[in-house]
Amino acid sequence: MSEDGVDRGKRRFLTALTVGVGTVGVVFAATPFVLSMNPSARARAAGAPVDIDISKLELGQMLVVAWRGKPVYIVNRTQAMLDRLSKNTPLLVDPFSKVKSQQPPYADNLYRARKPEILVVLGVCTHLGCAPSKAFTVGAASGLGADWPGGFFCHCHGSKYDMSGRVFKNVPAPLNLDIPPYMYLTDTLIRIGSDKKKGAA
Amino acid sequence: MKKIVLSLLLALLPVVSHADEGPKLDHVKIDLSDKASLQRGARIFVNYCLSCHSASYLRYDRMGHDLGISDELVKQDLLFAGNKVGDRMQAVMPVADGKKWFGVAPPDLTLEARYRGTDWIYTYLRSFYRDPKSFSGWNNTVFPHVAMPFVLYEWQGEQHAVFRTKTIVSHEMKNGKPVTQVSTEQVFDHFVLAKPGTMTPKQYDQAIRDLTNFMAYMSEPTKLERIRIGVYVLIFLAVFLVVAILLKKEYWKDIH
Amino acid sequence: MQKLLTWIDDRFPLSKVWNEHLAQYYAPKNFNFWYYFGSLALLVLVNQIVTGIFLTMNYKPDAALAFGSVQYIMYDVSWGWLIRYMHSVGASLFFAIIYLHMFRGLLYGSHRQPRELIWIFGTLIFVALMAEAFMGYLLPWGNMSYWGAQVIISLFTAIPVIGNGLAQWVRGDFVVSDATLNRFFAFHVIALPLVLVALVFVHLVALHKVGSNNPDGVEIKKKKDAKGIPLDGIPFHPYYTVKDIVGVTVFLMVFSAIIFFAPSFGGKFLEHDNFIPANILSTPLDIVPLWYFTPFYSMLRASTTDFTHGMLAVATVLVAGLAFFTKRGFLAKLMSVVIAAVLIVGMFTLQAKLWGVIMMGSSIVLIFFLPWLDRSPVKSIRYRGSLYKSALTIFVVSFILLGYLGTKSPDAVSLVLFKNVTWAQAFTLVYLAFFVLMPWYTKIDKTKPVPERVTFK
Repeated sequence: MSEDGVDRGKRRFLTALTVGVGTVGVVFAATPFVLSMNPSARARAAGAPVDIDISKLELGQMLVVAWRGKPVYIVNRTQAMLDRLSKNTPLLVDPFSKVKSQQPPYADNLYRARKPEILVVLGVCTHLGCAPSKAFTVGAASGLGADWPGGFFCHCHGSKYDMSGRVFKNVPAPLNLDIPPYMYLTDTLIRIGSDKKKGAA
Repeated sequence: MKKIVLSLLLALLPVVSHADEGPKLDHVKIDLSDKASLQRGARIFVNYCLSCHSASYLRYDRMGHDLGISDELVKQDLLFAGNKVGDRMQAVMPVADGKKWFGVAPPDLTLEARYRGTDWIYTYLRSFYRDPKSFSGWNNTVFPHVAMPFVLYEWQGEQHAVFRTKTIVSHEMKNGKPVTQVSTEQVFDHFVLAKPGTMTPKQYDQAIRDLTNFMAYMSEPTKLERIRIGVYVLIFLAVFLVVAILLKKEYWKDIH
Repeated sequence: MQKLLTWIDDRFPLSKVWNEHLAQYYAPKNFNFWYYFGSLALLVLVNQIVTGIFLTMNYKPDAALAFGSVQYIMYDVSWGWLIRYMHSVGASLFFAIIYLHMFRGLLYGSHRQPRELIWIFGTLIFVALMAEAFMGYLLPWGNMSYWGAQVIISLFTAIPVIGNGLAQWVRGDFVVSDATLNRFFAFHVIALPLVLVALVFVHLVALHKVGSNNPDGVEIKKKKDAKGIPLDGIPFHPYYTVKDIVGVTVFLMVFSAIIFFAPSFGGKFLEHDNFIPANILSTPLDIVPLWYFTPFYSMLRASTTDFTHGMLAVATVLVAGLAFFTKRGFLAKLMSVVIAAVLIVGMFTLQAKLWGVIMMGSSIVLIFFLPWLDRSPVKSIRYRGSLYKSALTIFVVSFILLGYLGTKSPDAVSLVLFKNVTWAQAFTLVYLAFFVLMPWYTKIDKTKPVPERVTFK
């Protein structure tokens, strides 16, 4: 073993080249393993859009359906409920739905809906993921105080939302409830999970 | 050392596979890149096989995507009412009914091509013949006394099997004396098309080839992708090998 | 950087481990082709563990769900097919590598003094690997998985008195069932891998204690320079790390070629009968274990009543003869007589099935004794005489042919003239004779003088 006449530069270059190409190889080899942890075809099929018939949903009533394993609330709001919405503005964290991640562009309005009377909202509290329950009764009878304007109440940590799923001030939840992508296939048939004409979600 | 390796290689020479017993199978050419054939095969499978047999590891949308059929067309042409494109391809008939009607539950066919081989499927589906003694009225030379009735009867028509008598001579030792035994056996010889179907034999063979092709796809939908990726992987490794050899040579200059 | 290293070295022997086992671990400079398989075995072990972890994320050890969950991996999980093929092809190549690694030992005497413990740990790895592979093969719950496990576990029933109870205890049921699958899963994914990793660790610790052997069988530690470095030794790092990278790349090319172009390897790595779910009512026509078990399976099937009785008669005569001719004391003679008596009694009382199991067991147990069976004054085949060379050649040929016959029906004629079972019996004799006669033929073999230093180029 002798080190006479060793071209150190060449040796360094070849070492770096081997390490470089080898690292590329390791990254390529690791990719399938990382990707295999994504939702599988089964999970994606279970998460496919669901079509809901709302023709039987009466005024002032709520329907709970599952989409991607999460509860989706569909509420047929009365005129009285809709009228109260604008009065809530000073009590709310984000009354004008400024946080874009919480709703698709077509729900960026007072009703947070495509059609004012029909609310489609994800029943997942933005605090820690509990399912808020409906508290549509107004006033003291609701048990939430005499000035309660009706909405949703989360039992886990006491977060409150109004009838558009907008979060009230001074509760643990930071954001308005999520509005999922949805579309009307007919007047009474809603597709949840897709808002494009093409079926792919 | 070299001698040992050489003699090992020589020892391996007699290790040539011997033909297995069983019916003679016709070879079918499988071409997974022939999308038109796969699409025709998929239609046959869904319309004729899927009523009783599931292909439950495959999903409709996956099949549509791989075969170049849009989700809309899958829904229109291939889907049973009430199914979604992301569903697995389940048979219409419940398994328990199949057991009741045929004595055995129709097996899931997703992996059939890897279990039996494509030549087997191709030959089997062309080897049904009329047999009044059989429960379903049909028998099969590849799968004798198969419980499945011949679903594609209208296409192929009615075949009759012609058997010939084969004499088997065997030599055995009995009580220390050589004994020669002669026995006869009925061996399948050929088919006669007694009643033509809606397809000519050539058309029928083509249809079965399409179906077999589809079943080959179904048994391993990733096959084309795997071969494509394999080429890139080997090219990459070959490049890396050159680099690795250069590095090794450079360092081993030190060793005398 | 240097500061960080010092900080770590004060708390953890990082530099010390690096130097002792890589940068200043001196390996003989004359390693050849056969010396790649150790590092390759380690690579495949890592491959099996990593792919195994990812398979476990989606596999369900439940008789009702197992087969479907494997197909779920193949069809629904992104890249699941690749991960599974890496695992199944990896298992087969693991055995190929281990067999070649063991053959290297036979070529160059790597099992000889002072490396007996390395050999014993290595043989234990081989046994653990066989258990690992056997249990893993049940998990896909295909029809071949099921019946393979059924047949092999039934071997226990050959043991007199406790056999049936033992087989039931292993299965946790009267047949192979959900309970068996569940416990095999536990052994396959955690118990045996832990054992394997621990054994590999002690195998390497023992190797680094005594140093590597080489194709000349010369102890390089006997000739050192002034600094105490073996004259024929070179640092493992960088010289053997760069060389092993080349070997690893060539191996990966073979590995990838199989994974991507022939993952079932014509039914040899993934059997056709395993593409249907376990069916307790229908045994596959030919129950054949995967190729790496077939040599031993062949020996098991070779044990017909006549054959085992013949074998035992020969063994009895040998032991009795030994008692008569040995120069050792009275105790050794008495032992021989007792053993001969036991064999004779056993021959008439025990069934051939049990002797088949004993034979298969001894074919593996004998491997452990190799360091003491070999009496040659030289280690490497380069300096051994024609006797050992011929013995080794015949042994390897027999082993390969036993493997081939194990895949065929015993009554068919796959080679020439005789039935497969007859050939298997002959090769079983050769296999056993290779070990049993070794003390004799290695002792009288003509050897060549071993050089002082290793030969290099």
